[in-house]
Amino acid sequence: MLDRPSFWTRRQFLSGFAAIATGAILHRDGYGRDGEWVPPDGKPHFPPKAKSVIWLFMNGGMSHVESFDPKPMLNKYAGKTLKETPFSDVLDPKKLAIERLVVPDANGNLRTTLYPLQVGFRKHGQSGIEVSDWFPHIARHIDRIAVIRSMWTTDSNHGAQTQFHSGRHQNDGYFPNLGAWVHYGLASLNDNLPQYISFGRREYWNSRDGHYLGPAHDAVPLRVDPKNPLDFSQPERPVSSQARTIGIDLLQKLNSHRAAVSPQDTVLSARIASYELAFRMQQSIPEAVDFSKETEETKKLYGLDLPHCREFGAQMLAARRLVERGVRFIQVQHGAGGAGAWDAHSSLKTNHQNNALAVDQPVGALLEDLSRRGLLEETIVVFATEFGRTPGSQNGDGRDHHIYGFSVWMAGGGIKGGVVHGATDEIGFHAVEHRHYVTDVHATILKLLGLDSRRLEIPGRKRLDIDHGQPIDEIIA
Amino acid sequence: MRLTGYFIVFSSFGIWLGLEGLSAHAEELDYLKHVKPILKSRCYACHGALKQNGKLRLDTAKRGIQGGSSGPAIVPGNPEQSELIRRVTAQNSPERMPPEHEGAPLTAAEIDTLRKWIQGGALHPADEQPEADPRDHWAFRPIRRPPIPKVKNAAWVRNPIDAFVAAQHEQRGLTPMPEASRMELLRRLYFDLIGLPPTPEEIAAVLADKRADWYERTAQGLLENPRFGERWARHWMDIWRYSDWWGLGSELRNSQKHIWHWRDWIIESLNKDLPYDEMIRQMLAADELYPNDLDKLRATGFLARNYFLFNRHQWLDDTVEHVSKAFLGLTMNCTRCHDHKYDPLPQLAYYQLRAFFEPYHVRLDVIPGETDLQRDGIPRVFDAWPDDPTYRFVRGDEKNPDKSRVIPPGVPELFGVELPKIQPVSLPIEAWQPQRRPWVISDQVENAKRKLKVAKDDLAKIRKRISFLETVTTPRTSPIGPPSPAVKGGNRTDSVVIETFESLNTERWQILGGEWAFEAGRLEQKQDGPKRSVLRLRQPVPQNFEATLRFTLLGGSQWKSIGISFDTALADPTRDPTAVDHEQNVYVSAYAGGPKIQASFSLAGQWHYPPPPAMRLLPIQLQREYTLRVQVRDQLINAYINGIPVLACRTPQARQDGCLQLFTFDARAVFHEFRLKPLDANAELWNPSDLALEAPPILHVEDAKAELAVAEAAVAVASAELTEIELRAKAWQAIWSRLEESHQRSTFDAAIHAARQLKVAQARHALALARREEMRATPDKKPSAQQAVQSATEALRQAEANVPADIQANEKIPEFQGARWTPTRFRSSQADDPAPAFLPQSTGRRSALARWITDPKHPLTARVAVNHIWTRHFGTPLVPTVFDFGRKGQPPTHPELLDWLASELIDSGWSMKHLHRLIVSSATYRLTSVVPPNEPNSKLDPENVLLWRRTPIRMESQIVRDAVLSLAGVLDPRMGGPSIASDDQASSKRRSVYFFHSNNERNLFLTLFDDALVTECYRRDQSIIPQQALALTNSRLVLDHLGAIAERIAQSVRANQHSSSDEAFVNQAFLVLLARVPSGEELRDCLQALREWRKLPESAAGDGKYNRFAEENLIWVLLNHHDFIMVR
Repeated sequence: MLDRPSFWTRRQFLSGFAAIATGAILHRDGYGRDGEWVPPDGKPHFPPKAKSVIWLFMNGGMSHVESFDPKPMLNKYAGKTLKETPFSDVLDPKKLAIERLVVPDANGNLRTTLYPLQVGFRKHGQSGIEVSDWFPHIARHIDRIAVIRSMWTTDSNHGAQTQFHSGRHQNDGYFPNLGAWVHYGLASLNDNLPQYISFGRREYWNSRDGHYLGPAHDAVPLRVDPKNPLDFSQPERPVSSQARTIGIDLLQKLNSHRAAVSPQDTVLSARIASYELAFRMQQSIPEAVDFSKETEETKKLYGLDLPHCREFGAQMLAARRLVERGVRFIQVQHGAGGAGAWDAHSSLKTNHQNNALAVDQPVGALLEDLSRRGLLEETIVVFATEFGRTPGSQNGDGRDHHIYGFSVWMAGGGIKGGVVHGATDEIGFHAVEHRHYVTDVHATILKLLGLDSRRLEIPGRKRLDIDHGQPIDEIIA
Repeated sequence: MRLTGYFIVFSSFGIWLGLEGLSAHAEELDYLKHVKPILKSRCYACHGALKQNGKLRLDTAKRGIQGGSSGPAIVPGNPEQSELIRRVTAQNSPERMPPEHEGAPLTAAEIDTLRKWIQGGALHPADEQPEADPRDHWAFRPIRRPPIPKVKNAAWVRNPIDAFVAAQHEQRGLTPMPEASRMELLRRLYFDLIGLPPTPEEIAAVLADKRADWYERTAQGLLENPRFGERWARHWMDIWRYSDWWGLGSELRNSQKHIWHWRDWIIESLNKDLPYDEMIRQMLAADELYPNDLDKLRATGFLARNYFLFNRHQWLDDTVEHVSKAFLGLTMNCTRCHDHKYDPLPQLAYYQLRAFFEPYHVRLDVIPGETDLQRDGIPRVFDAWPDDPTYRFVRGDEKNPDKSRVIPPGVPELFGVELPKIQPVSLPIEAWQPQRRPWVISDQVENAKRKLKVAKDDLAKIRKRISFLETVTTPRTSPIGPPSPAVKGGNRTDSVVIETFESLNTERWQILGGEWAFEAGRLEQKQDGPKRSVLRLRQPVPQNFEATLRFTLLGGSQWKSIGISFDTALADPTRDPTAVDHEQNVYVSAYAGGPKIQASFSLAGQWHYPPPPAMRLLPIQLQREYTLRVQVRDQLINAYINGIPVLACRTPQARQDGCLQLFTFDARAVFHEFRLKPLDANAELWNPSDLALEAPPILHVEDAKAELAVAEAAVAVASAELTEIELRAKAWQAIWSRLEESHQRSTFDAAIHAARQLKVAQARHALALARREEMRATPDKKPSAQQAVQSATEALRQAEANVPADIQANEKIPEFQGARWTPTRFRSSQADDPAPAFLPQSTGRRSALARWITDPKHPLTARVAVNHIWTRHFGTPLVPTVFDFGRKGQPPTHPELLDWLASELIDSGWSMKHLHRLIVSSATYRLTSVVPPNEPNSKLDPENVLLWRRTPIRMESQIVRDAVLSLAGVLDPRMGGPSIASDDQASSKRRSVYFFHSNNERNLFLTLFDDALVTECYRRDQSIIPQQALALTNSRLVLDHLGAIAERIAQSVRANQHSSSDEAFVNQAFLVLLARVPSGEELRDCLQALREWRKLPESAAGDGKYNRFAEENLIWVLLNHHDFIMVR
């Protein structure tokens, strides 16, 4: 059934669709009727530099000072309280006032006794950017990467995950996240595959994507399991495949009889198209997460032979395969569960070492593999986390949540390589140069994808200026 | 064209009015198309009809040229002199427009457009109209019952709804489509009113009904069907944000436990047609209006649902936003930060509305029959903080309240309805002292009686265990204990081995592993860790034998096992465990996680640990001496500890030749004595069923005594508790009924006395527990255990001494609990905030607000409600922006119809059923959805805005599931009750409305079909996504029920005395599932497919209960047919 040409030709499918699009979203409340706003047509608003996004998210809060933002002063003043150092002005209440508490608990507090770096740093690449020794594979690609060392956010607890994804503090309610906006704004790159995919478990507070854009813009959760990659992708009870072939054939005949009687029924044609896509997806999705045709070298590159990074490696390889096949936005969450794997309130050294072991080689492999295949030019890779960790110590050998300055990096599609943008102060406390709120990352990505977030706004769903963010033009090539 | 590719989102409604209709010159078009939209979106809010800051209006070009207090804003031909350009290009606040916090600066492109337009002479249409007065906005004007229009097509009109619709048809040259078929109408009515399909029997009855009013009868019947309440409750639950609680782990962060009571109230209220205005009043203020009526108090779940553990502002923000959106269609939430940009609502309006809710909080009230609020209780609101001030937050920032002024409750005057005077409500005493409700005390008494019975039953069980102990044991006489009581008669055989371990006789024993030591004349195994240590007997063993081992366990890292093995192969088990190819064990383990005795066996190196009766929990302790006796006769094994039978089982393993061993595993132990002899041929062994004890046997007489003492003390406590509750109840009742002082005094004294007696009983119980622990304590724990006994003895002494003491003046008796507030953690997440008191007065604020909202003169309430109801009948609203009736919202497509329906709602006494009846009786509702090709109406009004045909509705998620279950005849009809937990949903056949439904626990199947968001869902989406196709083709829900659906259809074919041919089956399946007959080619294709399915081997085999393989497959196809999921 899947191999023979569809009875409903592609042209018909598209024309049916066009009629639907006119009505699309109109019921979403509050649009003006005087023509000031039109729903997105799926085309970029201006020429894009990238087509796809791979959004990697380290749950729990990765230490910036032990990854991409070295602070030797922490070693120099280790064990001293802030007051005993030249940096006591970081506690200026005005600077601290950006914090918005959700949960005043034992975490997310100021930690004033400086804690030395738990790892060494080395310069890498032509650019000589320093990266910690926990990330040797990523470091190898540093000349492809733009490190932003001056991020800040406002939620000092893990709701900052929601905030990083959607730009809004948890107390403000729930808002569409970046992937949903991209999905809403841009057309499909492959009619056989969902365009917004997520891998990995997610925390309850960021378990949805579309929010007021509607569930159609939620990510489709996939598993790297060719036998069962997607909910309901296989019959939940054994069925006869021959019987099913006859059934699908009959279903298509019956629907086409209806379509012949009601050629203008755009909902019917959309339904027919959705079944066709579903049947195609049943093949294309398992194929996309089936690595049997990958070379041993590739599998080794991603560390599929290594227990400590096999899981994330498989997700990275799947991400590459999906980008290759034309998927717009792939979100990969590392270490969700509880507060998040990177949440090193104590034993930071072991915690980060192990987490880095799990993600470093696969992420390095992803950059390498994308670049070998010429895909990195059109794919933005983002490596992010909800906040950094305090320069001061917690529980003797850990660091607390830190919202005033932290790092993320981006690479690929339209991003300058080998640059460091922005800076924190000498102990990594406050972002001091080129400060960026989390939505600036969103704005940068949207810009590279050719989208103007203001043109995506839905009337009645007014977004604040800060929700839109400002593109970080300095890192755009 | 927009290609989402993967997702196809559609809405069945849309109007799109561009500016094409304007016949203006090119220059003017430029203004209307490019300039005016900028001014409108960026300037009008402060310089238009709503506000005229600086006395400037920019809603017409002319007024811009006229200017305001800073002179002309627009100087045609001269942008640089135009104040407008100067201000939008200014660098700094306050010069810059829009000012800081009021909007982003204009973009360069926008400024450029304005500049060019002014440069070009600021051309604009001469007849440009200014914005209308915002107060004159259609939705803010009073509702007036409009006259029913006279129409030409009077024959089509069934009721006034149709007259309003027809008037628009006639204006636009539309002709209504014909009425839908009887079958379609029937299916439409069923799904619309009760959310379930008609059964084959109901279909047959209607098809046979010759009466002219079959339709009205059917509609009326469905409105009276209790399923109606379930169906429409789900709609209102969307709008009113029904949500079960959710949070992190078990932490209650949102909504309330047992909030389902509110859901049940909604269902019941709709079924009895409780007037809509009354529903609002109960939801907002039942605690003030019906303070002691728990049934009605359930309604306040509407407010209780907004509870948020950590943040009061988020809580109240939700409350303000959704009270105004749900009931009034106002986006009041915009005014949290600033004056409304579209509606004449100042920032103050938000805080005035908030002030109504400032005092309220949530509590759980005890209901009859349940004393444990964890299990059940009514979540409801009450005024806890009547004096909390409401402050305006500067720019909405809760950290920056303007404390110069307390904002009193108030409402916008704009709507012309006066707020009733807010008068504090005196609450009946049972509302604020809910412990006085009659069931609170009687349930506590009942509960205490139940506890007493449980304690007595426990005691009886222990006595039974002790009497069992007594019947099977006699006092110890010899070092190894008495002969087995099961051995009857003489003829005893001498032991073949008597080993007292005075030395380690290596002639007799082969040592395999372990560290063995002789100290003070006893043999000790000292090796620690999970390894085996074995003494293997070097002499032959009788086939049926009795082996007795006296031992003391000293310790071990985890398992602490010691026992006897037999039938053991001759390999060395310590070298290679897999080399043991046969062995049977009986051993005891002092494992802390569950000490036990176990009969196990090894088969080809694999150990097997069969379940009971081969295993039994047994309180084996360290540092105590035990005698384990094992009797084996063929495959029957008996074991005794200290002469008490503890194990009787049959080993599944056949007996083999082998040797006997004593062993430890992961245990340090002393071996005191061992004996082995052939089993007496007359010995009576226990069968497995003989030893089916309810609880682990008691192994020591001292243990038995201690257990008995504890159980007796527990009975005494339960009994004292009952007395205490009864006497305390008398004391409170004496106080409450204001009996004379002396009577109060005597009951009070009796209650105090009972409380003291209870303390004594509790102290005795504690002492019994301490003594039991002391008895069980290992030598190293003895001192602390003795200490505990001493303390308990002292505590008991004090409690006893307190009994006759004088009653102190300040002594109190505890209150009974009739309700408990839901604790918040606004101050610190570490601990609950201090509990508020239940006050005898409520502020009366919310009841005043509820009366204001439900005032028949209120312009919004009825219109908003009517629109919600209409939306769900027709799939498209009359006012598309269902929660925004303000100026930013869209105007109604049928303004007069909306007002007429609103008047009907009000004048019928807010009867929703009246409205439903009117709507479903209209000709408009009965139109067909089938549109022939080239239908002229399609060109005139392609989106069917003017209702010339029926717009099909995609079934809501709940209805998809319910329909499948109903068609299969397995839908569980039970109504109400606790929400069905996620884990139970897969197997549940209840209606989906009863599923647990929260932000983070959602049913996967339902989610795919646009289930309601709990945060807000004023309208459901009707997306078409491929996962829906996958769910309908592959889910168990569908696959599991194909057989039953096919069977019911086949039965109905037989019942209707059609032939049982394929053709009859296909016809009936189409009728039941799709409400129509198949066309010729549809029938042909279905018959062909049935034949093909029959040819498959599975067809002959049959894999279901009904063996209707081909028919099941046809049902699968029809459930996936477009016409199934659409209500046409």
